[in-house]
Parts: sequence; C-alpha cells; structure tokens
Amino acid sequence: MSNTFNINRFGWLLKKTILERPAQLMGLSVLTLALSFVTYALVKILGGIEDAQNASFMIGLIGGGCFLAAFVYNQFTSNASGSSFLTLPASQFEKWLCGVVITGVCYLALFLVFFRLMDIGFVSVYHNSLDPQSPFYKDQYEAVKIFAYNEFIADKAFIMFFNFAGAMLVGSLYFNKAPFIKVALIVCGICMGLFMLNILIASLFLNNVQTAFPYYLVWVWVGKERGRLELPDNILAITSITFHYLIPGILWGLAYLRLREKEF
Amino acid sequence: MDGTKKGFTLVYNLTNTLMIEIQNLSFGYNRKKLLYKNLQLSLASGNIYGLLGKNGAGKSTLLKNMIGLLFPTNGTVTVNGFTPGKRQPSFLETIYFIPEEVYVPALSIERYISLFSPFYPAFDREQLFNYLEKLDVETTGKLTTLSFGQQKKFIIAFALACNTKLLLLDEPTNGLDIPSKKRFRKLIASIMHNDRMIFISTHQIRDLDNMIDQVIIVDNGDLLLNATLETIGQKLSFKTVDDIAADMPVLYEEDALKGKSIVTKNTSKEDTKVNLEHLFNAVIENPAITKMIFKN
Repeated sequence: MSNTFNINRFGWLLKKTILERPAQLMGLSVLTLALSFVTYALVKILGGIEDAQNASFMIGLIGGGCFLAAFVYNQFTSNASGSSFLTLPASQFEKWLCGVVITGVCYLALFLVFFRLMDIGFVSVYHNSLDPQSPFYKDQYEAVKIFAYNEFIADKAFIMFFNFAGAMLVGSLYFNKAPFIKVALIVCGICMGLFMLNILIASLFLNNVQTAFPYYLVWVWVGKERGRLELPDNILAITSITFHYLIPGILWGLAYLRLREKEF
Repeated sequence: MDGTKKGFTLVYNLTNTLMIEIQNLSFGYNRKKLLYKNLQLSLASGNIYGLLGKNGAGKSTLLKNMIGLLFPTNGTVTVNGFTPGKRQPSFLETIYFIPEEVYVPALSIERYISLFSPFYPAFDREQLFNYLEKLDVETTGKLTTLSFGQQKKFIIAFALACNTKLLLLDEPTNGLDIPSKKRFRKLIASIMHNDRMIFISTHQIRDLDNMIDQVIIVDNGDLLLNATLETIGQKLSFKTVDDIAADMPVLYEEDALKGKSIVTKNTSKEDTKVNLEHLFNAVIENPAITKMIFKN
C-alpha cells in the first residue's frame, strides 16, 4: 500500500470520519441547512425574495462552511482523541484530503443542491401566488428568478467560502480549543485592518474618498453624488485571481503542511 | 564469565530484532530548555519494558517521540527502520499507542470495529472478544456509556487484537480497579511473543510487578537506568535486615514490619527478588551511584 494515498484506506478514513461522530458532523450540516431555510423564509417576509436568496445563500454557504471547516479537525480538543487521530494508520495527505472533501466538496455539493431545491420551492410559491390576469403579471413574474450560481453575489460568496473555510481549516489545526471563535476573531481583525489600510491608502491619493473596499473599488464624492473608481482591468484580473484561487489555495494547502508538522 | 556474557549477547541478538533506536535525542517543549539531552536508547522486541518515572519526569514525552506525536529537537528516533515523525501508514499500522486518557466515540462495539479495524491488517476479531471477556468488559450499548475503566479496558483489548508489533501504553492501569489490574497483567503476559514489544509507562510501579522484563527509569529527562530484571538482580540486592551496619553502603532504606527493607549493591552475588518500588526509590535518590553500578 502506498504511504501517500490509497483509495481503500481513504474510503475507510472518510467513512470513519463521517460515521464516528454522526450526530455532530451530520447534525451540524443539517443545522446550517435549516438555518439557511429559516433565513430565507424570514428575510423573504421582511425584504422580498431577492434579499432572502442573497442572505440565505451567504449564511448557509459561508457560515455553514466555516462551521464545518472548524469542526472537521476537532479531534485536537482532547489529548486522547488527538493522539488517536494522528496515530491512525492513514497518511497525512489522506487525513487532510478527508477534511477538504468533507468541507469543500460534500458540504458544498449538499448545500448547493439543498439551496437550489429550496429556492425553486420559494420561487414557485411566489409565481403561483401571482394573478395571471393582472396587468403587471409579466413584470412581477420576471422580477423574481431562480438564484444564479454564476452571478455577482454567488461569485463573492464562493470567494468568501473558499477563503474563510480555508482559514478555519488551518486555524483548527493551530488552535486546539475553540478554533472557530479564535479564527473568526483573527479573520475579522485582518479584514478590518485591510479595510482601514485600504481607506488610508486611497485617502493618500484622493481627498474625497467616501469608502473603499479592499483591493476592489473606491467610492468617491463627486459634488453631492457618489462615483466608483474601479481598478484597471489588468490589476483587477490579478486581484481576482488572488482572491479566487491564490489565497484559498495557500490556505487549504497550508492546512496540509500544518497537519504534517502537527505535534500533540 | 566474559565468554558467557558474550555468548548470551549473541543469542539475544539472533532471536530479537532491534525495534527502537534512539540516538542523541534532544527534546524540549521550549528550545531553550531541553527536557532530554543526547538520550541514547536501544530496545529490542520480545520484551516488556517498564518506563518508570515521577510525574512530569518526561515519560509521556519519550513515548510521544517514539510514535511521532512529538518530533525530536535533535537526534533521531527510528522504530523498525521508520522515522516516527513522518507518521507513514506502513509505520502506524505496526504500532498502537494507548494514552493515559482513552478516546472512545459514541458507537457500539460492532460499529467501532467496523470503522477502526480495517486500518490494522493483523486485526483479529475473535481475539478481541476473547480479550474483552478476559478483561470483563461489557459488550452491549455504546462505548461512551461505559465507565472510564471499562472504556480503557476496551481500548486495551482492541489494541491487543490489532496485533501490532509495538504496543505503547501510557499509565495503562490508571482508572482500573484492583481485579482489572490483575486481569490486565495476566493478559499482557499471555499475549507476549518474540516479535512483539510492549512498552509501558507508569508511575504506579507496583502495577508492573511480575510483568516486565526490563526497567527504564527516567527523571528530569535523564535516563537513570536501563537494565533487565536479571541484570538488576545481579547488581543490586533487595532484602530486609534487622539493623543496618554503619559501614553498609545502602542505596535505599524503608521501615518494614520486621526490620528495614534495604537496597544495596550486590557484592556477595546473592539472589534476591527485585522490588520495583524500592529499586525506583534507590535510583531516584542515587542517580549518580546507580549509573556507576550499571555502567559495567
């Protein structure tokens, strides 16, 4: 058997990881899906379906993904379970891949399927509630569409999911106790720092800055109106690649390196 | 005498494969304050080793270096030719480590077997249930509903049934009641064979009585003693005397019912039974003298 990867061994490991703590791992997934559903239902009443779609997608994907990522290596909360995990005869790569598959593949797929079904349900209910005889029927009908997974909000949610879940995965291997809270605080601190730094840098070059989003766009006052300054296309492409692939790649890869050097 | 000694060594090397080789091991949780400095240790299979030391002496640290849970700051540790720190599956399937506090998930025994046993090629299901019976472990219900002692006995039985070449136990008798300790000793003795090495770390020295072949004593990261019981019996004398003569070089003394129990250098080549607790105290109180006695 290979010391790096063996499909049978990986299968046993994946099965063990999921079934060893079914109530926790599956319960957590079901809980986040339920939270996503509740968010959809509540925000729909308060702000309409489009807001509900956005909020529910963000909470379910990013919140749920981060929770799961912080939980998938939670064996290190005790000396006994940590030792058991590290001395289990599976390779470091398989143990890492198991966390990646559960968080980045299984949960993601589960959530996307669930969200699509839920969204179809809510949108259908809305469409069926419309009066076909109404003069505004066509406009009202077309105003609400199924949430697209390839548009702006989904794209930003995917970026955040892969970045934050990656950070949680790494953090859970650094912090044995309460990794979710610790990593969330660090990530919030970093985001806040970047945000402030970006405003500071923008303010050095422009004196009418309203706000600035890190390495993406700057809002400026033009008289009483707001205008947006965007990055040049080539720089935007680099930024986009950095946030879409580079940082998540580094974070998820770092989790592997950390697992290899983890002492317990 | 020397010839006999050499002859013995030769036979010993032929029948026992060297399993653990520790060379110049230095380790510390803080790089500036090392717990172990240049530790040398060679351990062969076919033996049950007792690693003795006070609380915080570095027993668990040494065990963790042997299985790759901790990495040496300097020096090397090899187990059956593997570097434990790499934590390769082919290495991990040949060892089983039972920490002081065991981990059991909320699963039935059957479920536990189905999830964990595939990782150990030599696992034997029949043996497991045989060991569970010998250790008097309940086999119904979820493992988390068992008492701590029962959980520990289950993990010990599972570890033994995995038939790994190396079994490391950290304070295995902690949490076991007196009958269970007796069963544990009996079971360990019964499963021992030449291809296997059992390494038991404990501060409860009496629990190892009549079980171990070789004693290793560490204190503050220093290896004070590494000798077989046979060698210890040859070099030290354990007896009870009425009075201690003023010129008698006593390594350890303790009041007993009929006089005083003492440990002395075995100058008269008398054959006495090794008292592990007295040995431990003698070594801890006289590390330099002990090292000198066992040097040659």
